[in-house]
Amino acid sequence: MSKTSESKPPISRRSALKTLGVGAGAAALPMWARYANAQTSEPIRIGFQKHATGIGASYGRWYDRTSQAAVKMINAGGGINGRMVELVTEDDGTDPKRGAEVVEKFATQHKCDVAFGTLFSHVVIGSAPRAGELKLPYFVVSEGHHVASGMLNRYTLQPGITDVKSQVQAMAPFVASNLGKKVTMIFPDFAFGHDHRDYFSAAIEAQGGEVVQMIAIPPAETSFTKYFPKIPRETEVIYHVMVGPAVLTFVKELGEFFGPSRPEIFGFIDSLEAVDLASPGLEYLEGTYFWEGNPRYAQADQSEYDKNFRAAVGVDENGASVNDSKDISTYAHMFGCWETLNIIKAGMESSGYAGPQDRSKLIEAVEAITDIPHSNAHPQGAKLFNGKTHQVFGQQYITKVTNGKLILAHTAGIEDTLYPDEVDYTKQSF
Amino acid sequence: MLLIGPAEMAHAHASEQGFVLLLPTDFYVAGGVAAVVLTILVIVAMPPNSARRIFRPASFGKSSRKNGAVVTSCLAFLIMLALLAIGLLGPHDPTRNALPLGFWTLFWVVFVILQGLLGNLWNWFNPWTGPYTVVRLLRLQPLARLPAGLGYWPALASFLAFSAFLLAHPAPSDPEGLALMTATYWSFHFVGMVVFGPKWLRRAEGLSVLLNNYASIAALGSCAGRFRIGLTGWKTLTRPAPAASLAVFMIATLAIGSFDGLNETFWWFGKIGINPLEFPGRTAVVGENLIGLVLVVPMLVLIYGLAVWLGVRIIGQHRQFQSAFCIFAPAILPIALAYHFAHYLPSFLVEIQFVARMFADTLHLPPIQVTTGFFNTIATVRVIWLSQAAAVVAGHVVAILLSHVLALNLFGSHRKAVVSQIPLTIFMVAYTFFGLWLLASPRGV
Repeated sequence: MSKTSESKPPISRRSALKTLGVGAGAAALPMWARYANAQTSEPIRIGFQKHATGIGASYGRWYDRTSQAAVKMINAGGGINGRMVELVTEDDGTDPKRGAEVVEKFATQHKCDVAFGTLFSHVVIGSAPRAGELKLPYFVVSEGHHVASGMLNRYTLQPGITDVKSQVQAMAPFVASNLGKKVTMIFPDFAFGHDHRDYFSAAIEAQGGEVVQMIAIPPAETSFTKYFPKIPRETEVIYHVMVGPAVLTFVKELGEFFGPSRPEIFGFIDSLEAVDLASPGLEYLEGTYFWEGNPRYAQADQSEYDKNFRAAVGVDENGASVNDSKDISTYAHMFGCWETLNIIKAGMESSGYAGPQDRSKLIEAVEAITDIPHSNAHPQGAKLFNGKTHQVFGQQYITKVTNGKLILAHTAGIEDTLYPDEVDYTKQSF
Repeated sequence: MLLIGPAEMAHAHASEQGFVLLLPTDFYVAGGVAAVVLTILVIVAMPPNSARRIFRPASFGKSSRKNGAVVTSCLAFLIMLALLAIGLLGPHDPTRNALPLGFWTLFWVVFVILQGLLGNLWNWFNPWTGPYTVVRLLRLQPLARLPAGLGYWPALASFLAFSAFLLAHPAPSDPEGLALMTATYWSFHFVGMVVFGPKWLRRAEGLSVLLNNYASIAALGSCAGRFRIGLTGWKTLTRPAPAASLAVFMIATLAIGSFDGLNETFWWFGKIGINPLEFPGRTAVVGENLIGLVLVVPMLVLIYGLAVWLGVRIIGQHRQFQSAFCIFAPAILPIALAYHFAHYLPSFLVEIQFVARMFADTLHLPPIQVTTGFFNTIATVRVIWLSQAAAVVAGHVVAILLSHVLALNLFGSHRKAVVSQIPLTIFMVAYTFFGLWLLASPRGV
């Protein structure tokens, strides 16, 4: 995929690097001095919009655990600009209307400096306009394309997790050259599935492949056998993104339908996020491929950063809680909270953020960020932030189910994830 | 993905739901319904005295009339005040705040079930009678009489209001909102007590009436000066029949409990035109939940009434309809309690860990990491599901037995009792199927 627009960000890379230097300078202060400062100042208050209840609650629990760990690490390193960080958690019920109310509470009642942490797209879309009206920087961790599509506003940023459009398109080169060019897509018949349908069919065509059949499954369906005869014989690859409680049934019935002579199978881990791969029926997925935002299983070439991240959050080498090997984390997504909090820290440090009066400076500082190196602050990998679209781009992982574990088969580079800009938020006034 | 509201605080875990769909629930449901049908066949063959003997309690020691309930009630009131303060000033995350955890998990799930098993704990721990006694010390007399004609209808209205909050409020576990609602509810009923006297609590406060009902079927209790233990429902046989308004309250309890499961199913989402995989949140379904709540209560009262009416009609005793309607109604309570247990069991398993974590954090004990790993293996999900199903089946078996003995006492003959119960029995078999179907159905929240 070709690179995006060539126009320059409002703050040049040189000045951004300079600001990184300022951050490094602060970090070079003696530890006691940082603590002394930290303990005497008001904390930086980060409003954490948590899906504590509602359909997002299983994600919310791990987003919480990751965010608490990130804040602990940031505070252990002296906080931000010498001030401790405090997470102010509010439950949004995974409900767009409540999301907007929570954002308002952060701004007016809790005196938060920024808001952070939303995952579900409809909550982001429901909350972002209010954040814009209240001029509250709103850092989302949602994967949705709504930020980069231009639908939101200057106050909403997604610097810690890539969006679904870039993820899906980055899969096409691997699928076309390794698995096959004739693809049948099976997806749930609503917005989530439609995004995959639209982005992937365009991307696979660009690779010389084609989608030979699209099978849209009604969202409330719990039995799938009747849909499988629609899969054309010429199909070389099945691309599936089923979600919801019937996923295990879907895989089981797919196995019963094809038996051992199946086409290649490629899926998105969203289907099985927080689900144990040792679950009954999932043995059929052996030898199939998955997109993962961050590999659940520690890989042979595991970085020190990933090791550190797992230890801090309390996740073992299989992606499960260190307290319970059956408690599988939402590993493909939750790093986004950790990385976003570190971006907030970097932005506040480079802008010299001192309080709500500096919110626009903070946004400009984040917009100026470009290259983000692989580090303890960014354990998923190096990234490229696009200040105009407020969206980060990063490498994507394709893993293969091998002996019941997801083993890395391919890493799609950042260049595979880029697409032309659809908005320039920096042109919007504060 | 997970829960909403009270049950929604930890709910709808995708993997748990996924495993339930893989379980042979068709066989389990058939087995459960068969167990209930078998109970009916046993009853038909059972001599009347044997049936009565099932409900005869064993006694174990003298019960004293000593009552420290004023002190414990004052204590409960103080705990409530502390929880309200924590609700207003404490953490905003409902999984870390003592008010939602105390109210929805420890009170609404644990306390209600204990009340149904152990008897009238509410007499000791309700937050009204203690403060009311203190107010009475100021020589304040009730200002008015609660008209006897009102029966228990005010309590039903109060319980419907509480249920509307439980089922339809967008954020029933938001600590601040819950604090305000609790304070309002407590104050309203306290004023009611001050104006109308303690009868208010017994006839106009929904939670007290609900809990008194559950205490009336508890296995433990005292009777004629001795502590006794027996099969759930034995106490019902020692009491007068409830008033019509109280009988309706009992049926409403089951109706509301059933709706609080139905409204999470894919089936219901289909009816209201919502994609369960993209649930737009509780604010989007306030109206639907309220309408459902308002419809389901008269519907079940009507179905139950029809079954009772048909029963008395078959044996030619249709003049007995009103007394039969009231006399049999307590037999619904074991089913309602079983639903309560079954509905809240999965979320309880998560939320009780939130409670433990809260205590650990407060007391600076080693931190507790909440897990939902037991939703992630088929073995544990099977145990959870079968526990829920067992409760539902047991509730119906007890209900049918109790209803039969009540019919024996009313009509005097085994044949009349059995025949009069046929329509009600069909209703209960159908309800067993419905309850098990609910447990096996895919849910969206």
